[in-house]
Amino acid sequence: MKLRQTFRFEFAYQARRVSTWLYFVLLFVVSFFMARDVLVAEAVEGGYSLNAPFAVAQVTLVACILGLLPLAAFAGAAAARDVETRMHPLVYTAPVGKAAYLGGRFLAAFALGALLVSAIPAAMLAASLLPGSHADLIGPIRPGAYASAYFLLALPNAFVATALMFSAATFGRRGVVSYLGGAFVFFAAVVSWQVVAGLLGHWSVAKLTDPLGLTVFYELSKVWTPGEKNALVVGPQLSMLSNRLVWLGVALGVLALTHLRFRFAHVEVGGRRFGRRRAAKGEQAPRAREAATALSAPVTVPRIRPTFGTATRARQTLAVARESFRLIVRGWGGPALVAVAVLLILVGPLYFQDEGFPQLPTTGEFVNVLEQAAEHGMWLVVPLLIVYYAGELVWREREARLNEIAGAAPVPVWVSFAGKFAGLALWLAAAQALITATAMFVQARMGYYEFELGVYARVLFGIRLADYLLFALLALVVQVVVNQKYIGHLVAVIAYVLVTFGPQFGIEPGLLVYGSDPGWAYSDMRGLEPFIGPWLLFKLYWAAWALLLAVAGVLLWPRGTERGLGPRLRLAGRRFTRPTAATAAVAAALALTFGGLIYYNTSVLHASHAAPSGEEWRADYERRYGRYAGVPQPRPTAVNLRVEIYPKRRAVEIRGTYDLVNGTEATIDAVHVATALGVETREVSFDRTARPELVDDKLGHRIYVLETPLRPGDSLKLDFGVRFDPRGFPTSDIDASVAPNGTVFGAEWLPEVGYQKSREVRGAGQRRAHGLSPRPDVPPYDDPAALMDVGGLGPIMFEAVVGTDEGQTAVAPGALRRTWAQDGRRYFHYATDAPILNSFAFFSAAYAVREGRWNDVEIQIFHHPAHALNVDRMLGSVRASLDLLTKRLGPYPHRQLRFVEHPGRRRTLFSHPMNVRYQEGFSFINPVDDPRGIDLPFAVVAHEVAHQWWGNRLVPASVVGAPVLTESLAWDSALEVVEAAHGREHRERLLGAMRASYLSPRARAGSPLLRSTDRFQWYRKGVLAMNAVREYVGAERVDAALRRFFERHGSATPPLPTTLDLYRELQAVTPDELRYLLADLFEANTYWELAAKRVEAERTGTGEWRVTLDVRARKVVVDEEGVETEVPMDDLVEVGVFPAAGDGGAPLYSQMHRVRSGEQRITLTVPGEPAGAGIDPRNLLIDVEPGDNFAEVTGGR
Amino acid sequence: MELQIRKLSKTYPNGVEALKDITLTVPQGMYGLLGPNGAGKSTLMRTIATLQEPDAGSIHLGDIDVLAERERVRETLGYLPQEFGVYPKASAEELLNHFAVLKGLAGRRGRREVVGALLRQVNLYDVRRKKLGGYSGGMRQRFGVAVALLGDPRLIIVDEPTAGLDPAERVRFLNLLSEIGQNAVVILSTHIVEDVSELCSRMAIIDRGRIMLEAEPLQAVAALRGRIWRRVMDKSELAEVEREHAVISTKLLAGRTVVRAYGSERPGAGFEPAEPDLEDVYFSTLAGVAR
Repeated sequence: MKLRQTFRFEFAYQARRVSTWLYFVLLFVVSFFMARDVLVAEAVEGGYSLNAPFAVAQVTLVACILGLLPLAAFAGAAAARDVETRMHPLVYTAPVGKAAYLGGRFLAAFALGALLVSAIPAAMLAASLLPGSHADLIGPIRPGAYASAYFLLALPNAFVATALMFSAATFGRRGVVSYLGGAFVFFAAVVSWQVVAGLLGHWSVAKLTDPLGLTVFYELSKVWTPGEKNALVVGPQLSMLSNRLVWLGVALGVLALTHLRFRFAHVEVGGRRFGRRRAAKGEQAPRAREAATALSAPVTVPRIRPTFGTATRARQTLAVARESFRLIVRGWGGPALVAVAVLLILVGPLYFQDEGFPQLPTTGEFVNVLEQAAEHGMWLVVPLLIVYYAGELVWREREARLNEIAGAAPVPVWVSFAGKFAGLALWLAAAQALITATAMFVQARMGYYEFELGVYARVLFGIRLADYLLFALLALVVQVVVNQKYIGHLVAVIAYVLVTFGPQFGIEPGLLVYGSDPGWAYSDMRGLEPFIGPWLLFKLYWAAWALLLAVAGVLLWPRGTERGLGPRLRLAGRRFTRPTAATAAVAAALALTFGGLIYYNTSVLHASHAAPSGEEWRADYERRYGRYAGVPQPRPTAVNLRVEIYPKRRAVEIRGTYDLVNGTEATIDAVHVATALGVETREVSFDRTARPELVDDKLGHRIYVLETPLRPGDSLKLDFGVRFDPRGFPTSDIDASVAPNGTVFGAEWLPEVGYQKSREVRGAGQRRAHGLSPRPDVPPYDDPAALMDVGGLGPIMFEAVVGTDEGQTAVAPGALRRTWAQDGRRYFHYATDAPILNSFAFFSAAYAVREGRWNDVEIQIFHHPAHALNVDRMLGSVRASLDLLTKRLGPYPHRQLRFVEHPGRRRTLFSHPMNVRYQEGFSFINPVDDPRGIDLPFAVVAHEVAHQWWGNRLVPASVVGAPVLTESLAWDSALEVVEAAHGREHRERLLGAMRASYLSPRARAGSPLLRSTDRFQWYRKGVLAMNAVREYVGAERVDAALRRFFERHGSATPPLPTTLDLYRELQAVTPDELRYLLADLFEANTYWELAAKRVEAERTGTGEWRVTLDVRARKVVVDEEGVETEVPMDDLVEVGVFPAAGDGGAPLYSQMHRVRSGEQRITLTVPGEPAGAGIDPRNLLIDVEPGDNFAEVTGGR
Repeated sequence: MELQIRKLSKTYPNGVEALKDITLTVPQGMYGLLGPNGAGKSTLMRTIATLQEPDAGSIHLGDIDVLAERERVRETLGYLPQEFGVYPKASAEELLNHFAVLKGLAGRRGRREVVGALLRQVNLYDVRRKKLGGYSGGMRQRFGVAVALLGDPRLIIVDEPTAGLDPAERVRFLNLLSEIGQNAVVILSTHIVEDVSELCSRMAIIDRGRIMLEAEPLQAVAALRGRIWRRVMDKSELAEVEREHAVISTKLLAGRTVVRAYGSERPGAGFEPAEPDLEDVYFSTLAGVAR
């Protein structure tokens, strides 16, 4: 009865408030747009409909995160309103039980929460029912998906969050403490997902510790196929249900604790226990003297006239700033920073490893990790505290009920505003200082001592602090204008989310998105170039806006007791004095100036030469010129270039000549030239009369009709000039390929001959959206055109003179014939001695060079001087690779092999003929500290050297499975190099690391290797499959097959090879009884599920040991849609018996056994005492749970 | 210097007429503003203290137009609102020093002296390092006085300052005020008559937004001499007496009811002449019988 009354009163009380409904509407609107527009790209790429059950769950979970804010408001008010309004003496003395009081209040808050989150499915339903621009992406409405999203995702989330928030606020005696509960829920989810699962790989733990279920969802997103995402409802999975159950338990436990510890007792508002005691003591003393002093002569106060000059204003501002700073630091601002520091110490090192391979914690990498906030949800702590303290500071006097005294003090409003902003700014600076110090501590703890204070200063104090300050000012002004604390919080959070994560919602940075900038990246080679200039201009623009905002803040600053809008506006009118007006005018002028500059740079200068973005132009290109695909065209046989790089101006001029030959059997009367977009192609001419029939610079297509047609075998020269001179800048994705130090660009700016298929729109959904005929993204391997199309890659002779700034080295393919200085510039003349694939890149930077030789091949590693850790290993690996691969596959046709570093954080490399390029990220791999003792740089370099054969000489047809021939085979070769150089065990360790990628969540669905179209198959599965074949069939046979395959197809001329050609060679060397294995590995997506259940050992009379091994085996094939089919198994599987670890480690027994489906017992006799045994102990077969293949001896005598 | 208030009016959005055409002249010294709760005292005080806008009228402090030059007023204003809080985690010294800076006491040395002296004056010096959150109501009130006195103000507005004080504190506080009142305009609003009678050289009685009486307390009391009558009776007789006579106050005394009535002649049997006091002035003014 009383419970019901408490519930009813509380629910009705909060339901009457406008803000409650405002929250509902906001959540509805946000969910609606998320469901309709924001996640479109993800749905299209992921191949599921916008209202697929998967998408419904995704929107629900994201909206739940936003919903935490209103939930905290509900829970906080329900839990602490009585104390905060000082009503509690009346309520606490009423004859209501604890259970009825707390229960009623909590249930009311939860009911409000349940009502609130019902906005999410409602909005999603509205989004799929109302007509929209993406109607083609809407699938059938499945009520089950919405029901599950509400009852299994949103409602439990709301319950858990409300329970924690309610308890926090009850104990904290303040409504706002409920946000602490919300912050806990949020960070527990983010840390579980990003750190525990993402970085540490403890998925099973993370799926339980995540109160919002994000980790479970993230795992599903990786495991499910598009078909499953469309069909399966998120929620009833065991992992999700157990997650819900665990947190329901936690929530109930916390509620029980709250009930247990709660007392209807007097509450000292604002004072802590010890504070009260001390105060009480203090009060006694003066009281005793009171009567006496009341009669005695009064104290005289020195009469000092106050002064009100500039100095006083400065001092007042400082006083307010100091007071504000103290509030933040003594509140949550201090502890939160300490928590961030502790978290950074714990988590920081995890960022410096990838799949277990350690990396150097360089300062450049650290600042990227710390300050690219969009990547790491954890660093949201600071922005959230900005939002919180903006509210606290603006409401400070009013909440302390000091506002009348403060309002009557001779302090201009601008001083109050500036002082509070300065206090917040001071704290932010302190936060950045603490983070810097902590980061250096983490570096030192990891044994890295190259602290680059300048980099920390530029990124953490320059870039990041500027962003924080702009946002802090916005948050303050929002609080002033909105004049409702919690709604102010919500508005500020939404503003932050829109600005920071806007690009993910399709909100691009620009002149209308407060605080936005075109982005930046730090690189050791490049520094902050070329991003910093545009960045600065944007921030100056936003600073001008911030000044305008500050004026608005000053005008509307709450002073006095007027609360209505009318009086506030009248007051603002009066505050709009001449100096204020002048400030506003200056700010507006600055905003106009900088905004104009930005507009001129982005929309006039940049737009005039920018490459088109989006897909529309691609569709246009295909519609207009697609009919020229397959028209006979001459192909280049020689490329001769004069390249002038101006790193400081960020410009490149190229003049060049292509020797073209008609290699077809048709007579060619028109040459199609595809000019590059985003650069200026200045002239195109031929050494014979040609009439430009069509020049389309917008889509980059030209047609030249030859006066005398080109007969088969005839050749002609094409001259051209190209200029890259990016004046202006875009609002995002600044092209950094030319930078003051660290320039890299490829042939993408040069004209090409023929229709460019690569420009077409990809993806079935996207093609449909543009009304283009459907075609597979990757042609099937019976596509005759693809088999004959070298795609302009055909072998060429290459020659180039490359000029760059004095002090830099320019690198291009070929032998360096000559280098000279001229007019303050340095020139390099490169030419190839043997034909190379038409794939090259140019580099220019202040390089350090490490040189070595292998026979007559000159090895050079051009690297950033500070990135020398792995250079010697790389050199050694190149030598070892050339040694082995020339023996296995045939000679290396060039006399140079170079590795060239260029800016970029990723650990990727790319093997052009002769020149392998690698990003800086590769330099940071730190094999010295590798816990598994794997020399990753050595192996990766071997892989890239192997690409000189697999990829640069043997060029696969662009059909399904093609990268198996380059990537899988290059890794297969690299493993051979590793084994030759470091031994068999090292090879096993590396394979083990590759196998480990099966352990992170991954869809089992997939196409067979021969037709594979995803990276995992090429880089991991293909390598493991080749390894299995080597083990089963024999390495020599496989090597012979590979050699024959290379010899037959290694000329890069049509018809180009496919995986079928490789498969044929492998089949040729495989005995009939093992053909099934080849088929399982290559023709189907097969998984073996092998497990050793129990091992017993028994000593025989002869001193030997009889081992009984109970195993279970199963073999399944999983298709692209994820449908599993069990196939009968009767396969050869290795069985091994091992001695205790101390006894040498060599297996006591290792033989192939026939293993069939189901449970079975294997009995064998070994000479020594066994400690354990396993089925497929070396994990040669594809088994996603390799851990259970081995068991220790448990029984026997 | 004096404070001139002319034709001040204020109506709240909910229709309450808080001030109706108020005209007052407040000279140097203590000025009492008496009135029941809700009479408009606080609105008047806040308006003078630059925190609220009137709908009409003007206020001048000497040559300062209070409504137009708020910043100038604030530079010489000390204000103690009826209800206020403190930062519970700050100490008295800390917060007073903070306000001293805000009030323009720039020199660090002088400021420290002023802060120390004020804390002594309000008898908080011994507890100046304690957190304000632990202060009793009286201590907090005294702290508010110290804040109001910062910066040697020439206009001091104290709104119902004695409400939460115990008798000793109240005496001490009033002494302090009268001392300051010697060279400033001090407006003391209260609904406790003794506060005014003991201290103020001038006073006004305000009710429902109107000035009902403006006078010097002694003269106002003198004007009632011979017109206040007292009678002790049973409670049962009260209704009849109230109907027939101009009763201005009733009190219970040892189970009997003491009635005071106003009249130029003895109102009837049982009434005896009584010596008027300021309370009689107050009640007769509110009852509207004195005019």
